[in-house]
Amino acid sequence: MAATRALPSSSSYLNPNLPPSLKSSSSTAFVILKPPRKKNQYANSIRCDITSTNNWTAEPDPKVHFFPPEHLTVPMASESAVKTAKRVCLFYCAETKELAQKVAAESDGIELRSITWRKFADGFPNIFIPNAHAIRGQHVAFLASFNSPSVIFEQLSVIYALPKLFIASFTLVLPFFPTGTSERMEDEGDVATAFTLARALSNIPISMGGPTSLVIYDIHALQERFYFGDNILPCFESGIPLLKARLQQLRDSDNISICFPDDGAWKRFNKQLQHFPTIVCAKVREGDQRIVRIKEGDPKGRHVVIVDDLVQSGGTLIECQKVLAAHGAAKISAYVTHGIFPNRSWERFGSDKGGNPEQGLTYFWITDSCPTTVRDVMYNPPFEVLSLAGSIATTLQK
Amino acid sequence: MAMDKSQKKQVYLFYCAECEDLARKIASQSDLITLQTIKWRNFDDGFPNIFINNAQDLRGQHVAFLASFSSQAVIFEQLSVIYALPKLFVASFSLVLPFFPTGSFERMEEEGDVATAFTLARMLSNIPISKGGPTSLVIYDIHALQERFYFGDHVLPLFETGIPLLKERLHQLPDSDKIVVAFPDDGAWKRYHKQFDQFPVVVCNKVREGDKRIVRIKEGNPAGFHVVIVDDLVQSGGTLIECQKVLAAHGAAKVSAYVTHGVFPKRSWERFTHKNGESDNPFAYFWITDSCPLTVKAVEHEAPFEILSLAGSIADALQ
Repeated sequence: MAATRALPSSSSYLNPNLPPSLKSSSSTAFVILKPPRKKNQYANSIRCDITSTNNWTAEPDPKVHFFPPEHLTVPMASESAVKTAKRVCLFYCAETKELAQKVAAESDGIELRSITWRKFADGFPNIFIPNAHAIRGQHVAFLASFNSPSVIFEQLSVIYALPKLFIASFTLVLPFFPTGTSERMEDEGDVATAFTLARALSNIPISMGGPTSLVIYDIHALQERFYFGDNILPCFESGIPLLKARLQQLRDSDNISICFPDDGAWKRFNKQLQHFPTIVCAKVREGDQRIVRIKEGDPKGRHVVIVDDLVQSGGTLIECQKVLAAHGAAKISAYVTHGIFPNRSWERFGSDKGGNPEQGLTYFWITDSCPTTVRDVMYNPPFEVLSLAGSIATTLQK
Repeated sequence: MAMDKSQKKQVYLFYCAECEDLARKIASQSDLITLQTIKWRNFDDGFPNIFINNAQDLRGQHVAFLASFSSQAVIFEQLSVIYALPKLFVASFSLVLPFFPTGSFERMEEEGDVATAFTLARMLSNIPISKGGPTSLVIYDIHALQERFYFGDHVLPLFETGIPLLKERLHQLPDSDKIVVAFPDDGAWKRYHKQFDQFPVVVCNKVREGDKRIVRIKEGNPAGFHVVIVDDLVQSGGTLIECQKVLAAHGAAKVSAYVTHGVFPKRSWERFTHKNGESDNPFAYFWITDSCPLTVKAVEHEAPFEILSLAGSIADALQ
């Protein structure tokens, strides 16, 4: 267990007078939040659960904020023993190294393991898993990132090899499942690359622990869950709890409304965000143009947070921002789990610098599911990165 | 409905961008093979946006795809098409992958070595079956003979060879009666000696001399002959160059080389081209097939290279 520091006992998520090291600011690069285990009404569970601060830890790094709510269990009458963390050997690829290090830092039970990634002269991978004997009988996980087709093959080679090394179980964490975000199966002849990827993953050999668990955050199309075969167990997680924890820290946390840019986003997320007032937008055709309109809800005077699973060019978010500002939103922020931002499209998003919502966003939250983008945006307001490390660590230890 | 065995079948042939030249050659071998097109585009995020033209017309037809996995980056887009085609109610599906990459360098020696050849075999074994049953998978001169066992039961690997093309070419040479076939190592001998039993044979091998590895002649005599070194593929070309030296030192009149797959990473073929004005190249001919289209584009007009096309052989295999 990491070293603990006592904090003022009045501190809580909802206390605006947090000590400066725990307060958010728009220059914060990283906020690591861990969602609570309990899924009941969020606000109430936080208030009840803080009975002692003995289990709080604080990171000395001023850029990284670290809130471990899942260590705060409602104390049972006889329960005093600390649960032994499940030991997991965590492998990773070059792109996910930083996230893997954060995941390992979350728990003593998670141990980072390395892989030697080299290439032969013909460009094909020459991969070696050092100390392969040492993982026999262990729970093993691999943190993957398929940010481009050219890295899929080498990571798949490791993913196919690990389960066969007599490990106790295998978990593949693929925070962002690419493909399928822009494609439409409309005509016979459309090729669903999402299905290609699901097929390649469904073909992961089973290990001594049975089918591989496949952890994906906020999969784009809900029906994609049916693309997977029976020898794999997809586990669909969400980054929304991280957003909710972050919103609770804001000074105007009681003035927040959630805006869904289209019905798709509403379908995906409304159940997790039910206790916020909601605004739903829609794209309507006006002659040749497609315009974003507010379908329901009223942003007037509110701090509106646009929520979607991912962002590509950012066009949709910008149109929403305009329409919300025109209807009197006091502040506008955005959250997406996956900041894909091809061709540096994140550059379109500026900070409102405390001014008008037309000028920019107050916050733009993304998670670290797309590691290459994270490096680009983490020091650029209005961006703030909410790390999945805590959530992944919890999932790995279930 | 009983199929007349001598009746050739109409085949709709799709292909990847790199293979267009070979695909055209194949289609020109037979009226029954018609080329089909695919729209290959990319979304902004770099992932493929693919559309198979005239998909409705494929129902009930025999369909084939000519693939080339010259690098990791192109595997995913081709695989997407390969997984999609069998499900378009086609009568049968054949995948022609002239060169099966990976596995030529890798050695499974320790636990921890990751066999990428197995990854690729697994991905190909996972091709959905079509109305015509398992997919036929045509591969030329697979590097490791045991790789044939890497494939699952839902594909039917068909292992072909480019050697007949070489033998035909050798018959055309003026000194065709003075040809000796040389194998650079025992592996090549195992793969090919049965196909050359009418030729005298030389076998080389690498021996250790202190720190160095030297190529020696193990058996056979090249003196006075036109020696043709035969192997399945060439990478840096080092082995071939060492063999040529040893054969020349033992009196070979001419030395040529044949490999089915001219992999030649990083333009290593440049070690073999005639230098400016130089008339004496150690190699009289260097034959490769068109299994590696990117190399073919680089060397087709460069002596001593000659391309022996697989088009005829593939057209036969498809029918």
